[in-house]
Amino acid sequence: MDYAKLYEPGQLNLLFNKRKFFICIAHGVYTSFALFFIPYGAFYNTAGEDGKHIADYQSFAVTVATSLVIVVSVQIALDTSYWTAINRFFILGSIAVYFAILFAMHSDGIFVIFPNHFPFVGNARNSLSQISVWLVILLTTVISVMPVITFRFLKEDLNPTLIDQVRKLQKARRKQKPLQNYMCQVSRRSSRRSAYAFSHQEGFGELITSGKNMTMHNSISWIENLRKKTAETVNSFRSDRTVKL
Amino acid sequence: MKNKNSQGAQESPSRCPDNSAFKQQKLPAWKPKLTAPTVLSSFFTIGVFCLLVGICLILYARSVKEIQINYSDICLNCSKLRENSSNWDKECNCSVYFTLQENMLGDVFMYYRLQNFYQNHRRYVLSRSDAQLLGQDVNIQNSNCAPFTIYPNGTPMAPCGAIANSMFNDSIQLFYYLNSSTAIKVPLLKSGNSWWSDKNVKFRNPTSYNLSSAFAGTTRPPYWQKPAYLLDEEDERNNGYINDDFIIWMRVSAFPTFRNLYRHLRHTNQFADGLPAGNYTFHITYNFPVTKFKGEKQVVLSTSTWSGGSNLFLGIAYTVSGAVIVLAGFIITAIHLKLRKKKTYFQR
Repeated sequence: MDYAKLYEPGQLNLLFNKRKFFICIAHGVYTSFALFFIPYGAFYNTAGEDGKHIADYQSFAVTVATSLVIVVSVQIALDTSYWTAINRFFILGSIAVYFAILFAMHSDGIFVIFPNHFPFVGNARNSLSQISVWLVILLTTVISVMPVITFRFLKEDLNPTLIDQVRKLQKARRKQKPLQNYMCQVSRRSSRRSAYAFSHQEGFGELITSGKNMTMHNSISWIENLRKKTAETVNSFRSDRTVKL
Repeated sequence: MKNKNSQGAQESPSRCPDNSAFKQQKLPAWKPKLTAPTVLSSFFTIGVFCLLVGICLILYARSVKEIQINYSDICLNCSKLRENSSNWDKECNCSVYFTLQENMLGDVFMYYRLQNFYQNHRRYVLSRSDAQLLGQDVNIQNSNCAPFTIYPNGTPMAPCGAIANSMFNDSIQLFYYLNSSTAIKVPLLKSGNSWWSDKNVKFRNPTSYNLSSAFAGTTRPPYWQKPAYLLDEEDERNNGYINDDFIIWMRVSAFPTFRNLYRHLRHTNQFADGLPAGNYTFHITYNFPVTKFKGEKQVVLSTSTWSGGSNLFLGIAYTVSGAVIVLAGFIITAIHLKLRKKKTYFQR
C-alpha cells in the first residue's frame, strides 16, 4: 500500500484497451513482414558459399523459424523488468531447448526410424553452418526489435507513466539506503522516534484513541506494550535491511 | 491484545511461509531500465556495426563474377518442338555462344536457373516417398505420390511422385575456344554438388547383387527417358537414387525463381585457376519444356564468396538499417536533450 496510486491504471483500463490492442496487432504484422521478406530477399536466386543449396524450401523454413524464436525471446527479455535466476533459466533455456529439439528432429537417427515423418534430415547442420543464414537472422532481429526500443524509450523519457516514476524513485532510494543504515545504528538511543518515523505498521493511533492508556491501573501494562511495539518495529525494520532487493 | 497473540503463537505453529529468499519473493534480481546512456550507446554501436557489415557484404557481392544466359529464348525452335508432347523422342540440340570478358578465378559453379516454376506448391512438395528413396520396399500407394504411383498394368514407378517425375533433364556441356578453330570441352564435375547428408543418409539405393536387379519389378516415371539405374552408367556412386542431379532436384526450392547447382569446374590443365577469359559455347540437349507455364530457363556461371552469391539484398538491407539506426540515434539524442521533462518524482 506504499504507492496506492499505482492501482489507478488498472482500474482505468489504461494498460489494455482497444488502442493498445491495435498497436499490438500492428507490431505483430510488422514483425511478420520482417520475418518473411528479409530471408526472402536474401535467399532469392542465391546459392550457398560452397555453391550448394541454401534457398531450398526446408532451409528457408529453418531460417525463418530460428529468427522467429530469437526475435520473440529478445522481445520477452525487453519486457522482463525483474530478472531473477528463474527468469534467466527459462528464457535462455527456451532458446537452448529449441535448438536441441531442432537438431534432434533433423538428426540421422530419427530419420532412419521414421523416414516419412522427419524429412528435414541434415537441414539444421547444413543451413545453420552458413554465415549468411546467421546474418539474416541477426538482421531480422535488429529490424524487429529496434523500433520497439525506440518507442519505449521515447515514451518513458517524455511521458513517464506512474510505474516508471515509482521505479525511478525506488532506484534513487536504494542509493540513499546505505547512508540511512549508518544513521540508524548511531541513533539507537532515540530508537523509539526513528522506529515511529519509518514504521510500516499501524502505529499507536488505535491504542491512544481506544483510551486504554488513560486508566491508572493499565499504565504499567501500557508502558510495557509500548516498549514491545517499538522493539518489534525496530526488529522488523532491521530484518528488511538485511535481505537485499 | 499482544499478549494473547504471543501466547497463541507458542501453542500452534506459525502459518507464515519460510523466511527464505525464494518464498518471500526476495531473490536477488537485476532490474534493468531503459536509461538514456544505455539506449543511445546501444543505438550507435548497433548502427555502426550494421553499416560496416553491410558495406562489407556489398563489396564481397560485387566481387562475385557471374554470367547468365537465357537459353529458352535463344533456342526457340527447340522450345517450340517441346511444346508438343508427342515430340518427346525427337532430340533437339542447341548451341549458345558467349564471351567471358574477365577471368573467373577460384571455384566456378554452373547452375541451371528456372523462372516461374513453382516447386513450392503444397501438393507438389508432398508428392514424394522418402521411404522408397531410402531403398526400402514400401507400398507406395499408401504414400502421397498419387497420381504418380503405379501404371494401369500394375507396375510401380521408381521413384514415385510428382517431384521426381518432373525432374530437369536438359544436359549442358561447356566448350572453350583455344583459338578460332579448336574447341575443347571444359572439365566439369557432376558429383559432389549435393549435401553430404542428402547423398549418404536421405537417399539410398535398394540393395541387391547389382543395381538393375535392385530395381526389378519397377519402371521409370512417365516423363523420364531412362530408368533410375541408368541415370549415370559411368559412376556407380552417382547412379540410381543417389544421382546428384536427382538429389538436387528433389530438394525443392522455396521460390518460383531458383538456381540449382548442375556442375562445377574441375581444376585441371588450363582451367587450374578458373575459367580464363575468352570465347565459349554451351551445347545443350533441350528436353525440359517450359513454354506451357511461361517459364524460362537460364544457364548461370558464377564464382562464390563466404557471404553467398551476387545477391546484393542483404548488403543493402544491412547498410540501410545501419544508417537508419544511426540517424534515429541522433534524432533521439536531440529529442532527449531538448524535450525531456525535469525529473519530477512521484509525489505521495
